[in-house]
Parts: sequence; structure tokens; C-alpha cells
Amino acid sequence: MSVSSVLKAAIAIATLVGLVACGGNDSRTGPLVVGMELAYPPFEMSDKNDQPIGISVEIARALGEHLGRPIKIENIPFDGLIASLRTGKIDLIISSMTATEQRAKTIDFSDPYLETGLCLLVSKDSDIQEIGQLNQPGRKVAVKNGTTGHNYAANEITAADVLLFDKESEAVLEVSQGKVDAFIYDQMSTYKNWTKRANTTRAILKPFKKENWAVGIKKGNEELRLQVNEFLRTFKAQGGFEKLGDKYLAEQKEAFAKLGYPFYF
Amino acid sequence: MLFAPQEDSNQDESKKSQLLSFLLAGLAFSLFTYFVFAAADYHWDWSSIYEYRQKFVNGWLASLLVSLAALFVSLLVGAATVIIQKSRFLPLRYSATIYVELVRGTPLLVQILFLFYVVADSLGLDNRYVVGVAALSLFSGAYISEIFRGAIESVGKSQLQSAKAIGLTHYQTYRYVIFPQALRRSLPALAGQMANIIKDSSLLSIIAIREFTLNAREVSALTFSSFESYLPLALGYLILTLPIMRMARVIEKRIRFET
Amino acid sequence: MNIELQGISKTYGSARALEGLDLSIEDSKCLALIGPSGGGKSTTLRLLAGIEKPTTGEILIDGSSLSNADEHLREYRKSIGIVFQAYNLFPHYSALENITLPLTKVHGYSEEDSIERARELLRRFHLLEHANKKPAELSGGQNQRVAIARALGHKPKLLMLDEPTSALDPEMTAEVLEVIEELVEGQKDVIIVTHQMGFAKRVADQVAIIADGKVAETGPPNQIFENPESNFTRRFLSRVLKY
Repeated sequence: MSVSSVLKAAIAIATLVGLVACGGNDSRTGPLVVGMELAYPPFEMSDKNDQPIGISVEIARALGEHLGRPIKIENIPFDGLIASLRTGKIDLIISSMTATEQRAKTIDFSDPYLETGLCLLVSKDSDIQEIGQLNQPGRKVAVKNGTTGHNYAANEITAADVLLFDKESEAVLEVSQGKVDAFIYDQMSTYKNWTKRANTTRAILKPFKKENWAVGIKKGNEELRLQVNEFLRTFKAQGGFEKLGDKYLAEQKEAFAKLGYPFYF
Repeated sequence: MLFAPQEDSNQDESKKSQLLSFLLAGLAFSLFTYFVFAAADYHWDWSSIYEYRQKFVNGWLASLLVSLAALFVSLLVGAATVIIQKSRFLPLRYSATIYVELVRGTPLLVQILFLFYVVADSLGLDNRYVVGVAALSLFSGAYISEIFRGAIESVGKSQLQSAKAIGLTHYQTYRYVIFPQALRRSLPALAGQMANIIKDSSLLSIIAIREFTLNAREVSALTFSSFESYLPLALGYLILTLPIMRMARVIEKRIRFET
Repeated sequence: MNIELQGISKTYGSARALEGLDLSIEDSKCLALIGPSGGGKSTTLRLLAGIEKPTTGEILIDGSSLSNADEHLREYRKSIGIVFQAYNLFPHYSALENITLPLTKVHGYSEEDSIERARELLRRFHLLEHANKKPAELSGGQNQRVAIARALGHKPKLLMLDEPTSALDPEMTAEVLEVIEELVEGQKDVIIVTHQMGFAKRVADQVAIIADGKVAETGPPNQIFENPESNFTRRFLSRVLKY
């Protein structure tokens, strides 16, 4: 390596470092970047023109209006959301994320805005009735990587085989083909997945673990956290969640009411 | 001393200056990486990763085993395909061609999903590891058959003439003249293919095979630390692929000398 | 040996290599085929060796006709020895293995017998010390001598050589031609395509000039070289013998 090429390399490094250093998004007036995985209808999804839509998207837009700041939605895989927040690529996570103790070690959470619970999707002819029957040798349990269901399985399902999937759709397919005994996921999605494959699957919607969804915020950003909390309070008081529920989740609401499960939204 | 000798000079690069140059290049890479991470304001946390070290080891071993199995099977698939392609029965020959073109023209991801959720499901085959190795082998086998075909066709006409002249039969010509030479010539490309198999095996995570990448992603998801999981991941793959690439170069050099 | 070629033509695609070639040689020990490049000498030799089949015409060797059946031609090739211009040794085998391969796989020798025979030939050609070297480790002249040894392994009565010295420098050429001369003296029948006029003059007892896919002239070397009948032969020889 010659002296001039060392010099060139040094310049290249310096340039790149400069670029990275400027990448942060700290300005208070610039757009608020919200990260979510657009693969979780009806909360986070994209329309036919690839534009983000859904409950979380509307919440984000309402938040932007409340703060008087433009909103930019970034589509990021669920298991990459927290890292993106930590590195400053995004300012907020609104992606149906449960506020868990473990996550709270690395990021901050707003007040919860929705209560839901983990439940089971099992195959039609399975004899499984509750979570207790699953944790036995020879059983196979599907979870989606990075979800609270995954977390629960990693800690509680010790005897059975835990199969890890990138995508919800494959986990559901495995249940419907009888390749796994159950898929641990939240109530809302489990209901949706069951309605799509009602002839091969069965939903056990009674939650065995309650959880709260909240907005994720970079650790220590107290100002933004308080702003988000204030917004959530006003939005709730104005009936914003109620309206969104009627718009996107009318069917679920009715079904849950019929089954006698609580539906908080 | 940091310059490679010019082509027409007979002076040898000394071991010492080679090492020095290598270290310099390595230092530049490390510095670059360090500055990039430093600039990203990332707080490293290796303790939680260390807790999950067994997952990395298990995943690494799973990737290695799955890749070795796939390499072995894909060598058989590749050899069978090339023999079928040379067959004089045209429907057979065209099936082999269709297989090779289909596999090379579609993403491995789609092939894995199709094989596991459609083909294996209808055959009642539930072992995802078997299906995973099969998918990887079918994929790699198509490429290996092309490597073999190229190597066989590279054995010169004069060799065939010579085999004919000494009275070898068609089969003996393949057995003693073409195959041994073709195999030698395909070794560098085969080593490269092995490295590809190792890297491609990460796609098996889609059907929940607990290989290296999936386990690293799981640790990343459980500990919310991306880079701390992905750095060992990259290193783990390098440990597997670097020696193979190195070996490929050595073989390549030796073959050039032999022929 | 007696050789009879009647009305031989050979085409490769649209290219004509031989056009109605007739050649009759009786009772020869060493036949040299000479002539300008591209004139058809090598093609003639490959037909005589049974490596290729004529498009039309008939070939008779010692009175028996070469059939067009593959299996018959293979049997015929097994009975003779063939040496090529570019040695055509197998690069993945040692000198010794190049010689033993046809002996064990084609001629039914046992492993030990084939090695003994190969070593005997290598010793005769002063190559014993190189027995375990691969062709890439040997010089051109050494390789060509290994190739001749390979062709002689099964003790054929007839040896055919296609420009065996064209790829060699003068010193190696001499080394190979000496071996061939010894073979002729040792009661082997030889057909050789060559550009070495001196060798043809000295060793061959019959010479055929082949040009434009036909035989221009045949005869014993002293007649061909001293007193050629055709104008073509005279012009050709005066050109090649000028320098």
C-alpha cells in the first residue's frame, strides 16, 4: 500500500464518518420519524399503492397533528425496530408493540393505549384446550421472532420444541398443515388468522397472559415521552380510539363481545 | 517494501513485508469499522449476548452440518443431472435441462417454501431438516451440474482421440480419462459452491430450521441488541468460508501447474 | 505390411479433406507420408488407424477390409499402436500409469505384468527415472517417448505416428527419431506422417506424397527424392529441401 493510497483511504473513512454523524434526527421541527412493520393488518399495513395505512398509521398522523410536526413512516421489520430506535434512525415505534419489562431496559414506553393478551391458534383436530397442555416433550410451538409470544415461549416453554418464524403467515400455515401444535400470538391477530383458515384451525382466544401496547421512545427522551402521553390522553378523551375501532375492527369487536372476552380499544 | 514485485522482476515478496502490508490493510478496516460505530452513537452491551452463547454455538454447528449434508447430496444430484443431460433419450435430457433452468432462474427462498409447504406436505414428509437439506441440495445441485458440465467439456478433443486410439470403450473413456480430469478442474468452483451453500443455508430459517442466522436473529430479538448479535454471526460465517476460499485458490494454483 | 486405399474421400461438414485418394503399398517396413500442410496426410493416417471413418471408399490392411462398425474398429485399433503430434498423454497419470492404463483396461494384463512391461519400455527409452512424473513435469521429447512407449505396450506389429516431432525442438526431434529408427530396425512396421525429409529418405522404404486430398506420387525414397516423376513432387521437394 502506497502513501497516497493510505491517504485516499483516510479521506474515504473521514467522509463516511461525517455522513454517519450527520444521520441523526434530533431537530424538534423536522419530521417525526415513526417506525413500524407494515405487516400486521389492520394495525400496520400498506394499501395497493404501497402507502402505509392502518390504525397505527392513523394514530401516528393524529400525533403529528397534535404536535404540529410532519410525520414520516418507516417500514422496518419488527425485530429491527428497537435497534433502529436506539441508533436514532427513527424517533418513535408505533407498531402494536407490547411494553415488556425486558424491552423497557433498552427503550422507554409511553402509557399503554391498548390492552390485549396472548392466546393460541391450534389446528382443527388438535386436543389442546389451554397453554398448560403445550409445555410437554414432543409438542411443537410456533412463535414469531421478536414478539411477546416469542419471549413468553423462550422463558416458559421449556419442555416442548419452540419453532421460530420470521413471518406470521408461515406460522399460521404450519398450524393449518398440522406441522406444529400451536401458534402463540395476540388475540386480535389470532382471531383474524382463524377467520381466514376456519376449516383447518381453531382459535383459543382466552388470553393466558395480558399485555399492554405502548409507543416506544428512545431511552431518556423525556420531553417526547410526556408529549406522547398527553396526546394519548386527549385522543382517548376525544373518542379517537373508539372511532378507529369502529372503522377497522367492527367485526372483531362483535365477535369478542359474543365470546365474552373483553375488548379494550 | 510495501509494493508487490513487478511482474518482470525476480525479486520475491518477503514474508515480513507481506505480513506488514496485511496488518496495515487490516488496521485500516478495523479503524473504519470503529469510526462508523463510534459515530453511530451505539452503546455496546456484550453481557446479554454472552448469556446466549450456546445458541450461537448450536446455530453454527447446525449450519455447518446442514451445509455439509447439502454439499454431499448436491454432488450426487449434480453428477446425476450431468449424466442425464448427456443421455441420448431426449425426454430425459430435457427434464434435466428444465430442472437446471428452473432452479437457477428462481429464488431459493421460493423453492424452500414451495418444497416444504407444498411438495413435502403432499408427500406427508414432516421433517423440516430433511426437507431443508433437500431444498438446498436441489438448488446447489443445479449449479454443480453446470460446473461439472463445463469441466467435462473442457477436457480437450485430443484426450478423447487418445483414449480412442488406445482402445478404451466409451465408458472407460469417461471413467479413466474424462471424469478424473473434470473433477480436478471443477474443484475450485466446487469449493466456491460450498461457500455459497453455507451462506445460502441461512435462508432455511424461513421454515424455522434453527441454523446460525436464525439463532443470531433470535438472540438479537430477545436482547434488543442487533450489532452484538450480528458481529459474531458474520465472524462465524467467515470462519467457515475463509478456509474454503483459501483452499480453492491453492487447488487452482496446483491444477494450473499440472495441466 | 500391405496397404490398399481405394477411392477414399473424407469430408468434415462442407470441407473436403480427401477426394478420391488411391494408394497401394506392398511389402513395406516403413511408409512415410509427406506433403504440404493441409494436403490430407494426417487425415489419411487417422483413417488408416481406424480413428475416423472414410466418407466413401475402402481401406484394406494386409488384405482385410476395415469395417465401419464401431466395435470392429475398436478391435482393430487395439491391434496397432498410435502416436500423435501433441503426445496426448493423460495429464492426471504418471508416465508409468499412462503406459499401464491400456495394458490393464484394454489388453487384460494383470497389474504386476503391466508395471513390469511399462518399466521395461521406460528403461529401453532411458526414462525409468521419470516413471512417476506427470507429463507436465517432463520435456516434450520425454513426453513423446512416453507416448511411443504407451503405443508399444501391447507389442503391436504396426505403429502409426502422426507428425511425432512437429512440436519438438531439433535436439528433441533427433532423440525421438532415433527411437523410431530403432523400432523399424527392430522389425516393427511403421507408418509415419512427417516433415523430416532426411528421416524419410534414410529410414522409410516407401514414400507417398499427398497433396490436395490425393496421392501425387509413390515410390521408394531414392526414386522420389532423386528422380521424381511428377512436376508437383519436384517443385514441392525443391521448396522444402532448399533450406
